[in-house]
Amino acid sequence: MTGTHTPDSIDELIASLAEVGYQAERRLATAVFLSLRLQRPLLLEGEPGVGKTELAKALARVLNRPLIRLQCYDGMEQREALYEWNHAAQLMRMRAQQDHADPEQLEREIYQEKYLIHRPLLKALQAPAPGAVLLIDEVDRADAPFEAFLLEYLGEFQISIPEFGTIQAVCPPVTILTSNRTRDLNDAVKRRCLFHWMDYPERDRELAIVRAQVPQAGEALAEQVAMFVSRLRGAPFVSAFSRSPGIAESIEWAKALVALNTLELDPEVVQSTVGILFKQREDVAALEPLLEALLAPVDDTE
Amino acid sequence: MQLGDARTGKMAENIVGFGRSLRRAGLPMDSARISLALDSALLVGLDQKSDFRAALQATMVCRQQDLDVFEQLFDAYFRNPELTQQLLSQLLPKATEAASKPKRRPRVQEALAAVRAAATKKTPREEEFQFDAAMTASTLARLHHADFDGLNASEFRLVERLVREMTLPWPQIGSRRLRASTRGMRLDWASTSREAARYDGELLRFPYLSRRQESLPLLILLDVSGSMERYARLMLAFLHQSTRHINRSIFAFGNQLTDLSKLFRLSDTDAMLEGANRLISDFAGGTQMGDCLSTLRLEHHRKLVGHRTVVLLISDGLDTGQPDDLKEALNWLRRNCRSLLWLNPLLRFEGYQASAGGAQLLQKHAGGVLAIHNLSHLEALSDGLAQLLKR
Repeated sequence: MTGTHTPDSIDELIASLAEVGYQAERRLATAVFLSLRLQRPLLLEGEPGVGKTELAKALARVLNRPLIRLQCYDGMEQREALYEWNHAAQLMRMRAQQDHADPEQLEREIYQEKYLIHRPLLKALQAPAPGAVLLIDEVDRADAPFEAFLLEYLGEFQISIPEFGTIQAVCPPVTILTSNRTRDLNDAVKRRCLFHWMDYPERDRELAIVRAQVPQAGEALAEQVAMFVSRLRGAPFVSAFSRSPGIAESIEWAKALVALNTLELDPEVVQSTVGILFKQREDVAALEPLLEALLAPVDDTE
Repeated sequence: MQLGDARTGKMAENIVGFGRSLRRAGLPMDSARISLALDSALLVGLDQKSDFRAALQATMVCRQQDLDVFEQLFDAYFRNPELTQQLLSQLLPKATEAASKPKRRPRVQEALAAVRAAATKKTPREEEFQFDAAMTASTLARLHHADFDGLNASEFRLVERLVREMTLPWPQIGSRRLRASTRGMRLDWASTSREAARYDGELLRFPYLSRRQESLPLLILLDVSGSMERYARLMLAFLHQSTRHINRSIFAFGNQLTDLSKLFRLSDTDAMLEGANRLISDFAGGTQMGDCLSTLRLEHHRKLVGHRTVVLLISDGLDTGQPDDLKEALNWLRRNCRSLLWLNPLLRFEGYQASAGGAQLLQKHAGGVLAIHNLSHLEALSDGLAQLLKR
């Protein structure tokens, strides 16, 4: 993609996302389209591995804007997400100026923009036109007080710095928040965002994704992988496992199968590569007795 | 073009009406959200119903659990708004109940009863005498050490009131978040340079940052089987009030697992207990602890927050399920929490030995056992927890 064109319709957005290798369903594309047009942050919730982070990456490529990523974690502070003053430089400046300047002037001087260290949110606000794509990843991992730091940014696309003033966005950044729902987010955050719940894709979409991401995989293998994984996620098999594999896992699995020169799935090869789909000993053990049913040929009713 | 314009129909009105229906169905919906929905409808247009639906969904829904309600209401409303009323009454049992005479909360009833009694100046009934007598110092002291299971009805009511007023300092740890303090482990550079700037670049004192204290998240699993019936009710009342400032999740288990976390968000303990009575279908039934813990693992594993959660398992350990299931589930639970503690009312018996199958497994897997069969033990609970957590 060249230029900084924003898609004019939902169809165009779907097509552009597909061009960069992201197969978006229409509902998701509608939510993204609205978020671009209404200039609102988009909150994506869903199980791990359904493509939330990938969407932000794909969107940055489609819009030809830089992707700025803020990975959240427990105990995250304002100074790691928004801004921080360069205290060492400030103190040095003060020592150097100590006998020459009057105190008020000194105070003004050390709180200038050049002493400001830009963290992701501030970086996103100050990105030159056409602006940036800001990914606030796994926001549920940060603790509840951290959400309060985000409110001003999410609502107004600005940050107030007490010693300096308010910094407003040059161009409102396209903002994507993702959450694995390890806890419920505060309503104040949710009201400022559009919301989309991302589910596992149906079999056909999964097949399209595997084909696009692992073109080396043969047609039969790609179909079998999509079938196998979609069966794992549906009744009655889903209850046997503590966690269903995501799209990321099915792509990794398809790549591994290609690396092993597999043309068609059989119980043996599934068992030797099962560590890619499941990361719990109990789940690996639960898979063995179900293998035959999972590998059964496609039934028309499915 | 403006939606709601006479030339283009009544879509704006419909969207506002739809938003209000969603609000009645319990979705958080303010007027800003509705106007955002109007904007989004303008942007995607009305050519395709699915796009229109997706647009409203992205703007009007903010929780996964509301998606089904949205879908059903959308179908009903945009086919026939009249149907919505019918659907709403199905979705919300409260909507129909509201028509009947509003039920007063027990505390209100008690308060009103007292006022009425005073107004009519009737001789107090005998039961009320007993209530008064129960408040004397010696009775209170006796109740303090009396086993919950041996209380008579009026004593039980009194104890239930008393446990609500108990406040416990639950165990805390230093969180990763920092706060200003006079001493600590890290220099507060922001304050240092702010002060230095004020005093002509002189560093007069060094402010520090220290870790802020934070309560550990709690996961409470409460046995509501027949043998635990009396303790369960008291523990619900006790935990509801004493853990109200803590990040907590609570489940009742017997033959099946019931999530009570939502009820615990109610501020009134009577309302919570009433809701629990309604919600727990297997109150005073059997105990299938293994099955219930497996359900917890499959459906609610997210309640265990990053190996920090303290799990309080309140049970007498009389399990009627498969020991192997229980063993595996307890193994998983222990691996995924900070501490698994067993609160056992059977410790009231001197020389108690965990001889039942379930109790043996619990003893083996739990990081510690604490007694909870009377008020004094409940009061000592926080010290006991703190000591066990230090180990």
